[in-house]
Amino acid sequence: MASSLTWTLPGTWPSRTVTQPTQQTRPVEPGLADLDERALVEACLSGRSAAFDVIVERHRRSVYLLCYRFVSNHEDASDLSQDVFLRAYRGLRSFRGQSSLATWLYRIGVNVCLNRVSAKKPLSESIEDRQFVDEKAESAPDRLLKDERGARVRAAIAQLPRKQRATLVLRMYHEMSHQEIADVLGSSVGAVKANFFHALSNLKKMLGSEVL
Amino acid sequence: MHLQPDELIDLAEGTRAESSATHLAECAVCRLQLEELKAMMSAAADVDVPEPSPLFWDHFSARVRQAVDAEGAPRRSFWTWPRVLIPATAVAAAVLAVAVTLNTGETGRVIAPIPAVLPAPVAPLASVDLLSDPQAPDDTALTLVAELSSDMDFEAAREAGLAARGSAEHAVTHLTGSELRELQRLLQEELARSGA
Repeated sequence: MASSLTWTLPGTWPSRTVTQPTQQTRPVEPGLADLDERALVEACLSGRSAAFDVIVERHRRSVYLLCYRFVSNHEDASDLSQDVFLRAYRGLRSFRGQSSLATWLYRIGVNVCLNRVSAKKPLSESIEDRQFVDEKAESAPDRLLKDERGARVRAAIAQLPRKQRATLVLRMYHEMSHQEIADVLGSSVGAVKANFFHALSNLKKMLGSEVL
Repeated sequence: MHLQPDELIDLAEGTRAESSATHLAECAVCRLQLEELKAMMSAAADVDVPEPSPLFWDHFSARVRQAVDAEGAPRRSFWTWPRVLIPATAVAAAVLAVAVTLNTGETGRVIAPIPAVLPAPVAPLASVDLLSDPQAPDDTALTLVAELSSDMDFEAAREAGLAARGSAEHAVTHLTGSELRELQRLLQEELARSGA
């Protein structure tokens, strides 16, 4: 079993300790980073586990952002993202390349997130989470106003029914086409548009005119 | 008739020109609904996700790597099973049919019919000595069956109804050496006759 180190994060997290896994050095195989998705998957299946590191590196941010949109806090988003990649690894043989690897990962991510949010109410984001945001570009009052409005919108999105929430997240924040969303959710384009419409209408009912 | 949800979405996203929706010009309700959809899209689009620290990504990758390393090699998927399960099932069916024949023959019961046609994938069995080395891992189908059943003990199999007394499985597991040799001979004869 791998050992781990416990250390205290400096700066913005003075009182917070994080269990840091020991960095396992895996030999960098030449040319892996240049492989396309299908070749990376094949490499993984043939036992070159370093190829999966490349897949994780390419998609970890988008998977994390997807999870964050569902749970609105860093800790859960981080755990869910790890779960997404682990499930992807377990099911790698079922990836046939009919959709992009990103779409396939989104499908896993949406399922993982929907299962989680149905079992657990989303936590409100902490001040620590917000400190990741680059605040240099905006003045403090503007940032505060935007944060408050963003928090209200996020809270409203969290109240949406599962499919409406998934549709809105994938459409608004991951720029997926209606067809791609239909593929991820296992529904039709018409159903995706209807879900998106109802999601926006429900947001309007919950938020009223406060964000307009 | 008012615009449908999918039409309003197309208009709000700009994939359809408003000028093409003649109804919009004459319906205040639909115009208001369209404006509200656009406003909600704008409000939702304006919501940031706090970007994690660059340090987080290294930490995250290390966590995933540890979890993956602990997992071992990726598993065979459900979708690839039929390719090996179909021949395995065909082999199992042939063995069970012959076993039932032998077992019921001794007690005078009705003999179960042997399948007239055996599927092609069983061909390699014709040249295999079934009794020589039961551990031989050459046949991928048998290897898979062995892997799938490795965690199942006899009690579990019996509880699952797989080896009830009087069943074909029970009969096979209780054959004597001479009966097994006879089973092998019958199998090879049958395979040769079917041209497999």
